[in-house]
Amino acid sequence: MAPGVASFASRRKISRSLLHPLPLAAMLITSSDALAHSENGAAIDFAGGFTHPIFGPDHVIAMVAVGLWGAFLGVPAIWVLPVVFPLVMAVAGAVGVAGVPLPGVEIGIALSAIALGGMVAFAAKPPLWVAAILVGAFAVFHGHAHGAELPVGADAIAYSMGFVVATGMLHASGIAFGGLSHWPSGRVAVRAAGAVISLIGVAYLVRSI
Amino acid sequence: MKKLLYAAVLVCSLVLATPALAHSPIMGIGGVFGGVLHALLIPEHGMGLLALGLALGRQQTIVRSSGILIFMAAVKVGLVVTAVIPEQALAADVLLAAAGILGLLVAAAWLPALLCWPLAAIAGVAFALDSRPEVASTEETLRMLIGTGLGGIIALAVVSEGSAFLQGNVSRIVLRVFGSWIAAIAIMDLSLRIVTRLATG
Repeated sequence: MAPGVASFASRRKISRSLLHPLPLAAMLITSSDALAHSENGAAIDFAGGFTHPIFGPDHVIAMVAVGLWGAFLGVPAIWVLPVVFPLVMAVAGAVGVAGVPLPGVEIGIALSAIALGGMVAFAAKPPLWVAAILVGAFAVFHGHAHGAELPVGADAIAYSMGFVVATGMLHASGIAFGGLSHWPSGRVAVRAAGAVISLIGVAYLVRSI
Repeated sequence: MKKLLYAAVLVCSLVLATPALAHSPIMGIGGVFGGVLHALLIPEHGMGLLALGLALGRQQTIVRSSGILIFMAAVKVGLVVTAVIPEQALAADVLLAAAGILGLLVAAAWLPALLCWPLAAIAGVAFALDSRPEVASTEETLRMLIGTGLGGIIALAVVSEGSAFLQGNVSRIVLRVFGSWIAAIAIMDLSLRIVTRLATG
């Protein structure tokens, strides 16, 4: 046997014997502490805040619809609506955190998807202030729902940052898709997306009643 | 074999490195540089400086410079108070409130100088009062406080002068959106803090 082959075989043997305990040791050493979690298991950190709006499909479709509608309406609605939504949502979230009850939250959220999706589907172009009030009114339900579910615990700012950034990104994804409305076929696709959002909203409404 | 062991140790060390948490001492970094990092790495401070910087960046040069000078003076006053009085319980809340108001003003693109200057003073004092490092030595505390002051002022100057260059329509929209995000984060964080405080006593 050539010396090179022998040394390779011996090295391989040594590596095997070492590699088995090493990953195990690495896993044991690197296992981190459990971070702050709420009673229902949600992490109270940036990741917890970021995933909170994303893992609620009813919230996701409504926030995407805000972006879609903003893009559909054009300037200045394209930025006014995504500015109004998080601000009103945060205020309503504070009310929810404080434990102030708001009746019909789930119905309001479902209606927001129906209405905002419908606005896109029917290419409705109301005055800016009407659109802003409508979006702000629906943001109350979303904000309250999120606020009421928020865990009382540590690292509130990281949670809030994750939450707001995720909301903004959902708006941005809606705006990006809504940008297709500059082309005739894209306009059809955007309106179809609005119709789909509206139909999903109907399903949520039926479930929540 | 040794290389493999070294690699395993290195990987473990890298994975074990934890992020700097709010107001925990930054391990191994002290003195003035530690103070600078303290100013920049705490989210509340960073957000306050960002909000104030964006607001001042929308102003004329004289108003912007005056705002930075007011912040500088307020930080100095706050740091002196911090060095003498250790506990400043509500400073972070005040800084968040100032950041929230500044965020709203940036989102609304309505930034009168007479409103920005008092907010710069409030933010400066609150920023300094919330910056007391958790170290035992008085000398180290003073060094870190000086670093915190320097870091905060430099960061504010960089943000405000940088945002002054953002003059296009798209830049203005981005600034408004950032302002709304800052305000929303401040509102949510404040409400969570207050409720947590009430719940935990």
